[in-house]
Amino acid sequence: MTAIAAGSGGGEGINPVASAIGIVLILITLAITYFAVPAGLAALVGVIVGGLLIGFGIHFVPVGGAPAAMGQAPGIATGVAMLATGAGLAGLFGGAWAAANPEFSFAVVIAAGAVGGGLMMAITCLMVNIIYIFGMGIPAASGKVAKDPITGDTQEAYKSQGTEGHGLPFISYVGGVIGGLLGGAGGTLIYYELLQVYTATLPGMFGADAAEVLPIAVSLAGIFAVGMFLVNAVLAAYNITGTIEGPHDPKFKRFPRAIIGCATASAVCGLFAILIVMGV
Amino acid sequence: MESVLFGIGVTALAGALATIAGAAEDTESNIGSQGDPNSQVQLAPQMGYIHRIYNKAVSGEPPAYGLWVTISAGVAWAFMATGMNPVLALVIASALAIFVQGVYATTAYLGRTASLAKFEQPVYIDVIKSVTTVTMAHAFVAVFPAVVMCYLLIAALGHPFPLPLLGIVWGIALGAAGSATGNPFYGKERQYQSQKFGAGVPISASGNIVRYAEAGQRSSLDNGWFTAKLAGPASGICFGLIVFLEIWRTVLFEDVASGWGAIIAGVVIILIFTIIDRYVEVWARKNYGPYQAEATEEVSA
Repeated sequence: MTAIAAGSGGGEGINPVASAIGIVLILITLAITYFAVPAGLAALVGVIVGGLLIGFGIHFVPVGGAPAAMGQAPGIATGVAMLATGAGLAGLFGGAWAAANPEFSFAVVIAAGAVGGGLMMAITCLMVNIIYIFGMGIPAASGKVAKDPITGDTQEAYKSQGTEGHGLPFISYVGGVIGGLLGGAGGTLIYYELLQVYTATLPGMFGADAAEVLPIAVSLAGIFAVGMFLVNAVLAAYNITGTIEGPHDPKFKRFPRAIIGCATASAVCGLFAILIVMGV
Repeated sequence: MESVLFGIGVTALAGALATIAGAAEDTESNIGSQGDPNSQVQLAPQMGYIHRIYNKAVSGEPPAYGLWVTISAGVAWAFMATGMNPVLALVIASALAIFVQGVYATTAYLGRTASLAKFEQPVYIDVIKSVTTVTMAHAFVAVFPAVVMCYLLIAALGHPFPLPLLGIVWGIALGAAGSATGNPFYGKERQYQSQKFGAGVPISASGNIVRYAEAGQRSSLDNGWFTAKLAGPASGICFGLIVFLEIWRTVLFEDVASGWGAIIAGVVIILIFTIIDRYVEVWARKNYGPYQAEATEEVSA
């Protein structure tokens, strides 16, 4: 996992050797799961998809770090991994709530998680712009594009001298919401898949009723979902290296290698999460 | 009907608690200089600007608050498992978590400031004495309502997560919301008051933070006084809205269209916020206009 992240670091393109190793690792984890816990194979696929959704989604989140806090760069003034995790976990909160209701379908649970993450980002992005505009008197301006790809607003004239832009232009706002939606959906997918495995296997392992082990299943799935969210968020943050304005930022093009990295990391983490119900 | 009314009441209470937590969180982080602008506090002595600003940012706000809220939630959960009254358990657990925060704040300030010894930045003992206790007090005001809110979500609304896990989720979200909303105001408006209002701080001015208050040298207590007026409440509204709307749409619309009601309500709320954001953005462009390179004021000042 670490070797792959290190191998693909630095450049813009995909490292073919590292990618091949990653894909082989994913296949190995799938094979081990198939032989050790056959019932967990579908869950592992779900975990991998959830991980790559998180990794992809994080590239949409506009993060400006410390320069944004000084109005030196556009974006939200915090770290990539932290903000995306906050949004994703807000989504997981809603998704886990929906998953507890047996009447709800798989699609409802995932959509509930996605909307929870998107809502968190929508509110946060709006409040960021309100502070910039009404607290600091600065209009939003992007430093990476001449025109906003959605609204067509010109950017250059509104940029303060000596800065790379400031605030959240509309494209960054939309990117933030999309990132929250994808992160919330990915985190909830991981939780949901692990919960299915645990609720199916734990009663047999402990020799207890399904209702008795449900709190343990929920807690385990939740802890693994939070942990894997952080793994994927940090991996994607390393891919971004510092700040990103959103989908219009040139750094956004780096997402394919984050997807491979996150899928591999999620596969390995997911394997361990599923192997704990082997009963050994 | 009664259950819906009960749910709405709990939702309102949770939203109010979240608002208090968010406002106190941002003020605490500004007094302790833990948000992203801390890089400027750390940088200032290297640029020759000795200051009396506290600096405890070893990690960012979201993981730090994730830790403190989770400690509090975990200890409260353990107390309640032994049969302790929940109110007492939540208060004592929050107080214990704040002692961890106090130790963290002291060691972080000493460590970070001592690393600047070669730039002749002193460690001020009176700053440790006065500021540490104030950040601890604000941290208590942030952590306690956050944990009570988590407890409410489980005890009254039946969220499936155990209390410590919900503590991680909302602790990190609390730090993320406060750090995103409050930081620019502390970073730009407070630390760079010598810079022109209505413009970002030029990169060349990095580290040149404002170090003097109305009477004597500024300490981090002045930062809390200043940012509590806008950045704190804004962070509170941000986190309060997140918690309130997230629960509100679920409590009211979960039973509509076999679960899709809450999702549609969420999408509608997102669209409303998007429209408001676009309106605010256009308003700023119309009213402020393009950036004017200052020719007279700054040069003559």
